[in-house]
Amino acid sequence: MIYAVIGLLIGMLLGFVVPWSIPVGYSGLFSVALMASLDTVFGGLKAACNGNFDDRVFITGFFTNALLAAFLVYVGDRLGMDLYYVALLAFGLRIFNNLGAIRHYWLQKH
Amino acid sequence: MRIDKGQISIVCVCIVLGFMLAIQFRSTQDTRASLPFQRVEELSARLHQVESENQELEDEIRELKGLSSSEKNDKINDDILMISGMSALEGPGIILTIDDSGKIAKKENDPNLYLVHDEDILKVVNELRAAGAEAISINGQRLTANSEIRCAGPTISVNNVRSAPPFEIRAIGEKENLMNAINMRGGVADSLKVWGIKLNIQPVDNVWIPAYKASSKYKLAVTSNREEESK
Repeated sequence: MIYAVIGLLIGMLLGFVVPWSIPVGYSGLFSVALMASLDTVFGGLKAACNGNFDDRVFITGFFTNALLAAFLVYVGDRLGMDLYYVALLAFGLRIFNNLGAIRHYWLQKH
Repeated sequence: MRIDKGQISIVCVCIVLGFMLAIQFRSTQDTRASLPFQRVEELSARLHQVESENQELEDEIRELKGLSSSEKNDKINDDILMISGMSALEGPGIILTIDDSGKIAKKENDPNLYLVHDEDILKVVNELRAAGAEAISINGQRLTANSEIRCAGPTISVNNVRSAPPFEIRAIGEKENLMNAINMRGGVADSLKVWGIKLNIQPVDNVWIPAYKASSKYKLAVTSNREEESK
């Protein structure tokens, strides 16, 4: 757990130091990718709670989920389908489900 | 303390996640901060336009000041004649013809939809004026500030002269602007073509527009020196 927090802090520091920013046109894709990443991280936490955490599944899931989500939204945008909201809704639901599972685990443990 | 592979992967992923979070956060802040900038651009464009208008007016003042009084009067006279429609004009523009629909009216539809109405002509004229047309005539009748475009049975009355379709509307102005104003998607041409009304618009390098021919005597109105309406 402590490693996760340290990593998060290092990443945030990097993000604030580096002078890049997302062009307005791509901010939608980026936010969907971010949502997918968050979903994977919470999924990983839940798996760790259940004791079936696999770092390979976790690391591949993190990158492929983010890229695929952004790609799908991009394609949907080209085809005139607003997959943006669908992706946000789906990932949001999953994040809350995972949060719920984590909470249950903690409540049962203590 | 032993660091295993799983923990390294977690650290990597968390670094990436934190990085993305920070970038997204900053981008959102940037877009919020940049909204007033768009407003600034809009306002500077407006300022630029108003300044150029101002420059034109100042040039006109200087020009008029440089002329002798008789020349000045002539120039003002010419301008007034042009604006009021009392002199024939020519210049680049368009010739637009509108005629009733060639389609056979369907039984369930109102047959009126297939005819050209005063409203259609009004819409076209309005669109042309909005696009900067300097002079307009309908079937040889110059449109002045007092001209009407009114339904008169099967005909349309302009300057109290009736004419039947096809209507020829001539306009002097920027050819491209006038064409685009009529042909724009969802514009006048589109809505009339649904009913098969024949609308044809042609750019012409030199359009001739006749002067207003009827009497221009005002019977009731007199000029007033008052600047404001007194109570």
